[in-house]
Amino acid sequence: VTDTCDHRFADLAALALGSLDGRERADIEAHVATCPACVHRLRTYEAVAGALPRALEPAGPPPVAWAAIRAALRDERTGARVGARPMARRDWLRAATWPALAALVATLLVWNVVLQRELARYSSGPQVEALARRPGRLIILAGRGLPGASARLLVAMDGGHGHLAVSGLKPLSPGRTYQLWFVRSGAPAVSGGTFAVDGHGRAWASIEPPASLDEVQVIMVTEEPVPGSVAPTGQDLLDAQSWR
Amino acid sequence: VYAFGWRRRRALDHVESEEPTDHELLRRIGLRDESALETLYTRYGGLLCTLALRIVGDRELALEVLQDTFLRAWRESAGYDPERGRVPWWLMGITRNRAIDLLRSRTHQARLRERPEDGTSQPEPAQADGADDVVLRRTVEKALHGLTTVQRQAIELAYYGGLTQAEIASQLGEPLGTVKSRTREAMDRLRSVLLPVIEPTRERKPRD
Repeated sequence: VTDTCDHRFADLAALALGSLDGRERADIEAHVATCPACVHRLRTYEAVAGALPRALEPAGPPPVAWAAIRAALRDERTGARVGARPMARRDWLRAATWPALAALVATLLVWNVVLQRELARYSSGPQVEALARRPGRLIILAGRGLPGASARLLVAMDGGHGHLAVSGLKPLSPGRTYQLWFVRSGAPAVSGGTFAVDGHGRAWASIEPPASLDEVQVIMVTEEPVPGSVAPTGQDLLDAQSWR
Repeated sequence: VYAFGWRRRRALDHVESEEPTDHELLRRIGLRDESALETLYTRYGGLLCTLALRIVGDRELALEVLQDTFLRAWRESAGYDPERGRVPWWLMGITRNRAIDLLRSRTHQARLRERPEDGTSQPEPAQADGADDVVLRRTVEKALHGLTTVQRQAIELAYYGGLTQAEIASQLGEPLGTVKSRTREAMDRLRSVLLPVIEPTRERKPRD
């Protein structure tokens, strides 16, 4: 533990209590990300903060509280889009009707056909083959003012990874890269990774989508400086705005 | 990074595995298992309601916070990071943030001004605590009483009041450095008393 870290323990204590403003919080979090001693100290402070409510006089919720939560949950689930989230098997059995199952089978067929075509074209490895065997979602990104440019985003339904097939983008000059973004309302955009296209304007990139796409409003590709930006700075070149 | 007896607790999980662990419940919630969310609610609903009520000071709003907490847990169970601490801490973080958002909202301020003092905010009798809960509660109470008045004030304004260190300094008319030092001293004192108690009960046992 350095003197600098010791000095920062006051900020760590305040951080654990949720008592720093945005700038201070970002500053100390950036330090914690590189300092094992401060990580350990922060965890102990968080343990203390987590214990504080135990000293409060217990005030249990009324018996109807859970019923209200469950009702809100079911309202939310009823209003949710089909396939927005993975479902438990028994929920599938309970909720699925024959038309829904038929649509699902058709979607999976399209999914596999698309992937098999991409496999044939790019001879990708076992990671893509594994993805092709899983339920997933195909999202088309259209060019914005770029005739012939488009992309297909293949995302595993249970999140975590996917692949992006791009065509029609121009090769970039050194020091520049394309970057995929998942834009959420009221939150920073999440980078899905960077990629370069070949001499024919094509790319086949492994990407890292957020665990959940439910909050994502727009998926887009921009041109950014290498090695990529923390937030989109370039023009929107490809996007899917009504991809749901 | 394993901290606070994580490994020991995991070893105990094999022995005391009659009830699902919190992690198992979150995994099942991720698979859209509503009964898992209900079990999580049974374990922590009382604690979270207590916390929400302490922050917002209004029972109706506390229940709103409680509902938001569990809906968010349902939606974002995949976002829980075991490295950041126990499941109840994650839930308490959600509750606290939501409660403080409400506390700071103009709507909430207006509702509190309009609400008559008719006693409707009195809490329900709480579910009986288990032995571990009683020990932990007594220990935390004792640790807080071991602080000086100004140290306790610093903790309460920060954690329950939702104030930043700068806001506390402004409210108390004291230098920011003084407030930060006081907060750290308080947390260090609590830490020395509470960690030995928290560590063996890293993950909470299900309530019977």
